[in-house]
Amino acid sequence: MASLTYEGCNFFRQRLVLATLSGKRVKIRNIRSRDDNPGLRDFEASFIRLLDKVTNGTRIEINQTGTVLFYQPGLLYGGAVEHECCAQRSIGYYLEALIMLAPFMKNSLRAILKGVTNDPVDPSVDLIKATAVPLMKTFGIDGEGLEIKVVRRGMAPGGGGEVHFSCPVRRTIKPVQLTDPGKIKRIRGTAYSVRVSPQMANRIVDSARSILNQFIPDIYIYTDHMKGASSGKSPGFGLTLVAETVNGTFLSAELASTPQGQGDPVLPEELGKSCAKLLLEEVYRGGSVDSTNQSLALLFMTLGQQDVSKTLLGPLSPYTIEFLRHIRDFFQIMFKIEPQKPEDEQKGGEKVLMTCVGVGFANINKTLK
Amino acid sequence: ATEAHLKRQRAAPNLRKLVYGTVVVEEEEEEVVDEEDEELGGLFRVSRPEKSKKVRADATDCSRFQPDTSHDWDQEEMLASIRDCFVTGKWEGDKDA
Repeated sequence: MASLTYEGCNFFRQRLVLATLSGKRVKIRNIRSRDDNPGLRDFEASFIRLLDKVTNGTRIEINQTGTVLFYQPGLLYGGAVEHECCAQRSIGYYLEALIMLAPFMKNSLRAILKGVTNDPVDPSVDLIKATAVPLMKTFGIDGEGLEIKVVRRGMAPGGGGEVHFSCPVRRTIKPVQLTDPGKIKRIRGTAYSVRVSPQMANRIVDSARSILNQFIPDIYIYTDHMKGASSGKSPGFGLTLVAETVNGTFLSAELASTPQGQGDPVLPEELGKSCAKLLLEEVYRGGSVDSTNQSLALLFMTLGQQDVSKTLLGPLSPYTIEFLRHIRDFFQIMFKIEPQKPEDEQKGGEKVLMTCVGVGFANINKTLK
Repeated sequence: ATEAHLKRQRAAPNLRKLVYGTVVVEEEEEEVVDEEDEELGGLFRVSRPEKSKKVRADATDCSRFQPDTSHDWDQEEMLASIRDCFVTGKWEGDKDA
């Protein structure tokens, strides 16, 4: 069986995730081959180890310099997994991929991830908890077992956080029709601070409210100040905002303070204001799925039963566009992409209607009871 | 109205082509460039500065969508452009809060 070949380290996770789900082998060449420090980084190696833990019979070959990776996926096994995530990237980096795989395991997954919970680069655990979990529920992945819990918070660069993630397994995924996002009825958020004054979180809340109150009065931003052992190793603060619509769509934005010793420090007031503006930007983009979860929604649409799924998205992010190409490579599914002009002037930017017929993916690993 | 319709029709296949079509174009471009690799004294190859595609291939793997910097959310018009996305905005006739 021939393997799919790619170049470069970008889109590393989606390639390996899609390879695992489709059972196809994948080979990635020229990973940072022209870099002063060539080959795979520690966080990528850590990601491969995590994949190895949740699967059974995975074969991984890496050449001496780490610039070529060969990956032959095994069976998704699941069960209880504990993983020390490399602190170069936040847990969100690992969790995003794990969420894509979790519903298709043999045993329901109970993962304990340790490392950095919030950093400015990746979607934080709070954001994924607030947006990806309700999205999974619309695809029929729900029930008691679905939970993401932040046990300990750890900011970059030190880390020291802990997150528990559990997800039930499903035999099939429900097709969806998410064509009308609806109007935003409330805004919720979490302002967190660790190893700094608890007043920081209140300052963030006040400044974010000053912008968002122009639109809607129903705003509640929780302040979450963690102390002692549950506050991790580095100081920092940040804000996650989520806008919920009447039809159950969640749009989100977030910002975290710059890690200690890297770049200019930010004021909590400024952070709150810019984060509120990011949320407005996200509302402007709109759609039934927010921009960070576009690829997750498209994956579940692809793997759904053999029926038509429709989802209205905002502008496609570069990551999502590449994801669509990868879906074509691994599953031979091409989406119908229709741009939609909002007929009303005051409803934000252009939207895209994505339509596809699922491949009828059935989780053959799942044991019947 | 006909003009708008034509415009929409033109835009529709374009987006599909953008997503699924450009891959082929990029590969072709790369092959052409590869052949141009000149050799110095038959021994050394000129190391070219990284092309845009190579840079992207080794860029950070991150799902976050960077916001459009051209939008200034301090402006009144920008705020007005999303006013109806909220329940406090205008409702269509057939729907009710």
